[in-house]
Order: sequence, then C-alpha cells, then structure tokens
Amino acid sequence: MLTCIYEASASGLVHKNIRLMLEPIQQYTLFDEYVHVSSDSAKAAKVMDAIVTRISYQVYRELALASMAYEEDVLDNIYHVLLLGFHHGPSVLEMVQYADVMRNAEIRLRVKREANRFQEFVRFHQIGNTYISHIEPKSKIVTYLGPIFADRMPSIDFMIIDDVHKEALVHPADSPYYLRRLTEEEFNRLQKTEEVNDQYTDMWKTFFQQIAIQERHNERCQTNLFPKWSRKHVTEFM
Amino acid sequence: MDNQIFYQNNQTIYTANPMKGLEEKLAILADAAKYDVACTSSGVSRSGKKGYLGNSVAAGVCHSFAADGRCISLLKILMSNACIYDCKYCCNRISNDIPRATFTPEEICTLTIEFYKRNYIEGLFLSSGVIGSPDKTMEKICETLRLLRTKYKFNGYIHVKAIPGASSELLYSAGLLADRISINMEMPTNDSLQNMAPDKDMSDILLPMNQIADTIARFRVASGKSALFERAKINNYLVDSIWGQRQEHIEGGNGDQSYKRALHILSAGDSAMQHPAERKDIALGRTFAPGGQSTQMIIGASGETDYQLIHTSQALYRKFDLRRVFYSAYIPLNEDAALPALGTPVPLLREHRLYQADWLLRYYGFYANEIVSADQPNLDYAIDPKCNWALRHMELFPVEINTATPDVLLRIPGIGPTGVKKILSARRYGPLNFDMLKKMRIVLKRARYFITCGGKTLGLLNLDDAYIRRCLTDECREEAMQITDSGMQYRQTNLFTDFGLGVG
Ligand code: SF4
Repeated sequence: MLTCIYEASASGLVHKNIRLMLEPIQQYTLFDEYVHVSSDSAKAAKVMDAIVTRISYQVYRELALASMAYEEDVLDNIYHVLLLGFHHGPSVLEMVQYADVMRNAEIRLRVKREANRFQEFVRFHQIGNTYISHIEPKSKIVTYLGPIFADRMPSIDFMIIDDVHKEALVHPADSPYYLRRLTEEEFNRLQKTEEVNDQYTDMWKTFFQQIAIQERHNERCQTNLFPKWSRKHVTEFM
Repeated sequence: MDNQIFYQNNQTIYTANPMKGLEEKLAILADAAKYDVACTSSGVSRSGKKGYLGNSVAAGVCHSFAADGRCISLLKILMSNACIYDCKYCCNRISNDIPRATFTPEEICTLTIEFYKRNYIEGLFLSSGVIGSPDKTMEKICETLRLLRTKYKFNGYIHVKAIPGASSELLYSAGLLADRISINMEMPTNDSLQNMAPDKDMSDILLPMNQIADTIARFRVASGKSALFERAKINNYLVDSIWGQRQEHIEGGNGDQSYKRALHILSAGDSAMQHPAERKDIALGRTFAPGGQSTQMIIGASGETDYQLIHTSQALYRKFDLRRVFYSAYIPLNEDAALPALGTPVPLLREHRLYQADWLLRYYGFYANEIVSADQPNLDYAIDPKCNWALRHMELFPVEINTATPDVLLRIPGIGPTGVKKILSARRYGPLNFDMLKKMRIVLKRARYFITCGGKTLGLLNLDDAYIRRCLTDECREEAMQITDSGMQYRQTNLFTDFGLGVG
C-alpha cells in the first residue's frame, strides 16, 4: 500500500502523461527508444484516483509535491496525512493542529523553495536542436519544473536531467513532457553534454561580467543570494 | 574618435568572426547599460503559446546575481551608446572618449532568443543613447521589438525605455510591443535636470509620462479592469494611504483617484494616445504596457534633497500611477565641476534609506510629509525612517497589540505587512502574548519599546526617548555598516515573499 501511494505521488505531476509514457515515441529517438512501464503504474493510478475523488485534486497535487522531498519521514508522513484526508476531506491540509499536517506543510515549503531556486538557475546547453540541462537537486523536483518549462518553451525540444536521481524530464516540441528513469548507459552518454561547445556560453559570461558595477562589488551579498553549492551546473560560474 | 571599434552605421570592422564581433558589442553595450537599476521582470502574468517562445510570471524571476549582488533578470543592454547628448552624469555622453557600438535589431533579437532558451534571462531590457535624434532612436527600438514579437515570436518580458523627446506615435508602438515602459526622470526638479542634462527638457519627460499613464488606464478600463493598478493587499486594511481612501479600496476601485482618473479618461480632455499606431502593432492584439511604467532618479549627483526626492516620488505614484520609482546611487564616472569628484564614495546607505522611505509610502500608509520635512530636508541615515518617525511620535505609543487597528500596527517599528496580517488572523482565536509574537517573527528588539501585550511590556523598559533612540541606532548600525561596506542586497522577489503580495 505504501509503495503504491509512493509510486502514485512520485509520478504525480505527470499523471496526465501516463498514457504517453506507455507509448514509444517515434520522433524522439535522440536518446530514448522505449519507456519503462510496469504493473505498478496501474496500482498507482488506482490510489491516485482514490485521492482525487475521495479527497480532492488540490490535496493530491500538494502531496505529490511533498513526495518529491528527500526527508526520511516523508513517506510515512504522507501516509498519515492521507489517512487523515480520507477521514476529514479536502480541508485536511489546513488542519495544522495535527502534527503530521504541520510537518507536511514544512516539507512542502522546503521543496517548493528548492524547486524555485532551480527554476531560476537551470541552464540549458544547445546540442543540435535540443536544449539539455543538468541539475543536482536534493529533492526529486524535475516534475515540478516540468509544467514551468513546458509553458516557457512549448515549441522547443528540451531535457532536464537530474544527475542525482538519474531521471530526465523530456519535452518534445509541441507535445506533453514525460519523466524517464535513465539507464546507466543513457546516463553516461548524457554526462558529456556540458562539454559540447555552445557559442552562446561565452557570450553570456561576458554579459554576466560586464553587468556588475565594480564600485558596488559585494561578494557576501552575491553568495547569500546565490549559494556556492547551487552553482555547479550554472554556466556563468563554470 | 580613434578608439571607436564600430561605426554608427552598424558596419562592423570585424569580419573574420561575426560571433566575436557580437560579443565585443555586447561587452560595450551591457557595460553602458548597467547603471540603470531597474531589472525586474514582474507585473505581468502571461502563459506560453504553442509556436512562441516565452511566458511571463507576475512575481518576476531572478536568474542570476552579479558580483555586486544585484539580481539579473533581463538582458539589460543599450541599443547604442553612440549618444549625441551630453548629460553630465552619464558615461555615454558625447564628450567622453570611449569605445562606441551599436547593435542591429537582428543582433538584439538573436541574443534575446538564444539567452532566453538557455534560461539565462526572463526577457529584454532595452534602452539606448540618442542616435541621430530621439525619433530616429525610438524608431529603431520599435523596429527591434516588432521583429522580436513577430519574426522571432518572442512572448517573454520586455521592458523598454522611452527616449525623452520621441513622438507619441512611436511611444504608442513601443508600449504595445513591450510589457513595461519607462522614462527616466534622473533628476527630481527642473533646475537640476537643466543643469545636469542640458539637452533634455522636463516637459519631454512629464508629458509622455502622463500620456503613457492615461493610455495604460484606458486599456485597463477597456479590458474590464480598474483604471489604476491594484496595489499591495495590505493597503486595503488602511484607512488612508497615498493610493486613496479605504472606502474606495473596498468598493473595488483604487482610491478616489481611480474614480477621477476614470472620469478623466472617459471625458474628452484625456491625453491618452489616440492616433492610429503602426497597424502591425495593433494587429498583435497586445495590451498597452500591461506591466505599467516606472522611472529612475539618480541620487547624489546634484544637490537634490531627500525631501525633493520623496515628494517627487509620491507625486509620481499618485499622478501617474507608476509601478515603481527606482533610486540609483551616483557613481562618480566623469570629471565635471558640477559633479562630485572622482573617488567620492557611492551614497549606498542613502539609497537604501530612500528605498525604505519609498516602501513606507507604498506599503505602510505613510505620506511623504510624515517621513521628511522641508526644514529638515534629509533623512537621518543612522536610523531607518520608520523608527525615526516613531521616535518623533512617542506620544502615540505604547500600542496594545491585542486591540490596535491595522493602521496603527503597521506603524510600529519591527512589524511589517506580513506581521500585521499574522497578528490580525491570530487575534481572532484569543489574546496574544510576547511568545506568540516571537513565533510570528516580529522583531521584538525593535518593537518592544512601542508595544504592550495584555497591558504588559516586555521586561522593564526605560522609555526615555534619547535612550530608545540610542538603542535603535545601535540596532540599525550593523545593517548600515553592511551597506556602506559594499552594496546592498537586491533581490526582486524579496518583496513578494516578505509581503506575500501581488506585483511590484
Ligand atoms: S541621453 Fe544623456 S543619459 Fe542618455 S545616454 Fe545620452 S548622455 Fe547618457
């Protein structure tokens, strides 16, 4: 049961793409020929349906957000919140008098902060006609970034690769995006994309240097706002 | 000029590697644009469209932070720095011997699109020195934006600068193509402008500002919105603020001004731009500058006082419904008898205090004359302006947290709009104590001198004015040191997370 809930939540934000995940996608042969499907998805879909119909879609989305977190207690926490949810209905997430609900809110806030940071700092490299980026988040936030970047660049082929969790968010131009677990071989091949020379990289570095005002130099402030740990794949610091 | 590396007719002298040439231009024209402080991409919410590139997020998105700690959200460039004017404070003035460059419209489009696709930026901030004439410059700017919106199908954020003196037909086009349009005041008074920018005329700044304000309002009314922009929600709790009185807030307008403005627009005397704009621009079906207009004033180049600056800002907010007034601490770049000598420290702390005063106007229900007076025309930089106001009005304190109205709560040092909202909602369930205030992140170090909770103060307090002033000044000192040391922190999203409000 727990695993099912977890599966459902983890694939949460892209559930509308599940059908798509079942089909091989012809035009997208750059790195992926097939997409994993296991019987778990069916079970997960059932749990998902139960949450949406018996609690609410809003709650489902919020819990999906929580499920991206790395916190050790998150699984257990979601499970308990769900139990409360089936009992109290759609207002469950406002009932902060329950310690579990409070904890859940904390986790969601942290995940959201982390995800928003990556929304700002994701950097794409152009490889052929595809734009590829690597990130190393603590939480599994690529699905959170999915709708954001799909709206931003609807007609562009792009991929956001989570190097930590070895997952990729794949967005073919003008089509829905989907999530994909990377095989070892795919992962290794994709590692090299940042070495490919992209002619706008230097252009951006130049801009980045020129736009700072020397007389106002303030490294402490820059580090506060753009912590060193989050600079790893960021073009202007590479 | 021998060291020109590009000529104004856009003929680059680099032929071997066009990308290198573009990079050199970018270096010159980003450097030339960096003194403009506005870099926010906020104020417009627009989803993406198939076939187009980009969207716009109301709260704005910062993509990076430069070495000076300032947020980078837009590709901030000048179209050209080959300016024919000679504004004393400006590094691009004609009398300076510096490398000059001019982008072609296509080059600007390419850079914007390519940077956008890599998630470096949220959009474009385009300004320019005057090339040939204001109209010629504005025409080139419009041509660039038109190309970007049509051929390049760019749907992201654009902030365009209006060139003072350009015709209103061109400003109309620019507003239809961009999300925000702004004309820099640079100086708060006519005299200082004449002295500093002999080629500019205050009426070339204020008239278009007025026209833009009316055109924005007209478009808003036509799309079923209130004529004036909605302001931060906290203003709805206030009986009175520079945005108008509460009665009107609640009735959905935005103060009595809103009503007058609406009447004004609907009557014949309105100065909104009426003439047909470039047909192609109308056909795009865009709203005129949905993100509103803003302006910038330079701090510390001429002898302007804080009194003049803050009163001018208030007038701009009220009259033209500006979204923001930005303050830019002057960095001595040019040698000129009328300017501070080279090497004069940059007035960063003053700039910071002005921003604080500006927030008091926009979010706290203060009027300019409460913050600074004609006989003491400058702020006390040692202490933040809200603490300073409270110290001058000790007769109004202490305030009982459990019963005070939102207006009064908002005036207590250490309590901001978020704190007020938390207090109001928590009060409904029972009385508050200091412990709860602490959990709500109220800054008790400041607030303690001004409040009671259930009739009690926090510990024994010495309520001598001079003593409190000393304590609060000490409290402000660390903050002040950080700023004078280096730069201040800019992060456009702070406002939104701090205040949990709409757009800035
Ligand atoms: S018009 Fe004045 S402020 Fe603008 S670029 Fe030219 S010299 Fe500088």
